[in-house]
Amino acid sequence: MQLEKFTYDNKIVRDFGIATIVWGIIGMLVGLLVATQLFSPSMNLGNQYTTFGRIRPLHTNAVIFAFVGNAIFMGVYYSLQRLLKARMYSTLLSKIHFWGWQLIIVSAVITLPLGFTSSHEYAELEWPIDIAITLIWVVFGINMFGTIIKRRERHLYVAIWFYIATFVTIAVLHIVNSFQLPISFFKSYYIFAGVQDALVQWWYGHNAVAFFLTTPYLGMMYYFLPKMANRPVYSYKLSILHFWSLIFIYIWAGPHHLLYTSLPGWAQSLGVAFSVMLIAPSWGGMINGLLTLRGAWDKVREDVTLKFMVVALTSYGMATFEGPMLSLKEINGVAHFTDWIVAHVHVGALGWNGFLTFGVLYWLIPRIYKTELFSKKLASFHFWIGTLGILFYAIPMYWAGFTQGLMWKEFSEDGLLKYANFLTTTLQIIPMHVLRSIGGGLYLIGAIVMTYNLAKTMLRGKLVANEEAEAMPLEKVITNEDAADKKWHRVLERKPMKFMVLSMIVILIGGMVEMMPTFMIESNVPTIASVKPYSPLELEGRDLYIKEGCVNCHSQTIRPFRSETERYGEYSKAGEFVYDHPFLWGSKRTGPDLHRIGGKYSNAWHYNHMLDPTSMSPGSIMPAYPWLITQKLDISMTEAKIRAMQTLGVPYRENFDAVAQAKLKEQADAIAADLKQNNIEVKSDREIIALIAYLQRMGTDIKANKTTIPSNQ
Amino acid sequence: MFKQIKDLAGNEFYLIASLLIFMVFFIMVGVYLIKMSKSHITEMSNLPFNEPQSNEYEEV
Repeated sequence: MQLEKFTYDNKIVRDFGIATIVWGIIGMLVGLLVATQLFSPSMNLGNQYTTFGRIRPLHTNAVIFAFVGNAIFMGVYYSLQRLLKARMYSTLLSKIHFWGWQLIIVSAVITLPLGFTSSHEYAELEWPIDIAITLIWVVFGINMFGTIIKRRERHLYVAIWFYIATFVTIAVLHIVNSFQLPISFFKSYYIFAGVQDALVQWWYGHNAVAFFLTTPYLGMMYYFLPKMANRPVYSYKLSILHFWSLIFIYIWAGPHHLLYTSLPGWAQSLGVAFSVMLIAPSWGGMINGLLTLRGAWDKVREDVTLKFMVVALTSYGMATFEGPMLSLKEINGVAHFTDWIVAHVHVGALGWNGFLTFGVLYWLIPRIYKTELFSKKLASFHFWIGTLGILFYAIPMYWAGFTQGLMWKEFSEDGLLKYANFLTTTLQIIPMHVLRSIGGGLYLIGAIVMTYNLAKTMLRGKLVANEEAEAMPLEKVITNEDAADKKWHRVLERKPMKFMVLSMIVILIGGMVEMMPTFMIESNVPTIASVKPYSPLELEGRDLYIKEGCVNCHSQTIRPFRSETERYGEYSKAGEFVYDHPFLWGSKRTGPDLHRIGGKYSNAWHYNHMLDPTSMSPGSIMPAYPWLITQKLDISMTEAKIRAMQTLGVPYRENFDAVAQAKLKEQADAIAADLKQNNIEVKSDREIIALIAYLQRMGTDIKANKTTIPSNQ
Repeated sequence: MFKQIKDLAGNEFYLIASLLIFMVFFIMVGVYLIKMSKSHITEMSNLPFNEPQSNEYEEV
């Protein structure tokens, strides 16, 4: 057998590397903007395209899918080729993958500020972009499996299992969470409603964290950390154990995002139990990483890439310890909807994802440019300012989270809410939000310094676009296998397709056990007779609520705590959401819950509040929405929306779409007339009228109910 | 504290069955790991270092 000569494609690695840096800076910059909006409403810049509700999804999408996404592909394309001793399967597919992914990001940058959103967190992009994501993901899969098939190394190293699990699971999650019924090119409704939609979304949301922010990064850690430290991974057995446990357990944990909601109690408990168990495989990965550095700690002092890796692993350990703790109902009751969760995710995002990405970039760029890093001092500066940035970000947010969580629940000696006005709790934490943005700013400065350092490094060297290598080809036929060779995992290590199928089965079990009964067994979502479909005007108003991203700051689910029923009213029931395509429960209360807002204030109050929130709530940090008053409501799709809802099972009477416009006008005129009585002159065809109609309807249906409402709690 | 996973109003089946499925799966992986040969583990954990060294970037 002769040595075969081939080349590694470094150009695609470089391209994804540059995209990582560019989108990283943009994503963090948008993050800084939204952070300042939370203490200075003027930073919403006075126009609809840059308000918090529309820009916050842009930040999350940019840092998750653009920054981390490109970093994943950079790491995978570099390590996969070397671990398999083969060039990527197709240079053309690599290019399509690269440009396709950047195009998807650009389309997100355009559509999200325009208000085209599906409202599902971290899956906001509308259906045509969802399809594009699917296609590009398949291109990535073909390219990856093609490379695996033509490899020159028989066994698949543990990093590659993590890449395979990532590919399979993200595909499944993305497809199931994109079941939408299109109305037009930029509008669709999720086919699931209420509780079921919530379960699907958080099964997706939680596992996007697991399989986009965690497993590919663990794969990268298993390749790059041993390379950086120049020693093999601490325990290969532990890597197998924690890989299988991690992908098995993670998929069950989604319902911990829905504790105390109207999700069936048993599903919540499953989420809690598996979330607590999750600490074991997560820490297995962290310990395996940190112990790989055993006997090499002296290198950590010298080598800045290892410094980044150590902080990344420590942050991973902290975030994955905190996650299970936050899943305990007692802790979740205080922490959920507060800044505590923001602190938690940013320890993971800034520490684990950010720092691991920086470490890999500092290690990889000089290597593919055959030169040395331009300045170790600047890299060291980046490390320290970045670490300081994380601390300045996380500590104030924890403080704010504890403060707000406790203030919401505090009663006076008379048995009344001590802080009955929600705004008091918001204003209390403003200084913490200022500090947080300073932390974010420091972190961003570090990233900019890195950009300069790496650009100088690139200019100094020359890209080895096609790096020459040689390896023995793989023997096609294996005869006389010894008995030990037939063990199942060894077979799996050689048979990527079987491996993919097995990992898919493993990740499907959890989702199916949780979802099937919630979808199939009627008693899991008890219906309420008095809950009726939305009127056409309310439906249009609801779509405006989605468009403006109100869900980013306002929840629509009241938990069964006295502190919440006192503040907001009757706690939320599963049967109230059966016509909600999509559900809008939210995950954060920057402002108060709105589920029982209907009928609480007058139409005039809502009008004035939307025009200038501080006129009704002095000191409010909510942005003003003057364009809702000047812009005409788009009713060109009202009939189509009604028909779509009928298709999804909402019981509008037959041919209701034909009278929808008339009904809409009738209700709009009534609201405009009511406003006029309060000296507010506004045409009845403006957007504000529809939004008021929706706000006034919210949570009012059960008030008409005379019988006892079944509860899931 | 255990109330949240104990008191499930007749729906304990889901939790018990789920935990059993995981136990079985975990034991299977465990048994495999115990039976794994040492030489194979060494071979696998050294895979990142089996690259053609001549083409690697050399630290100066």
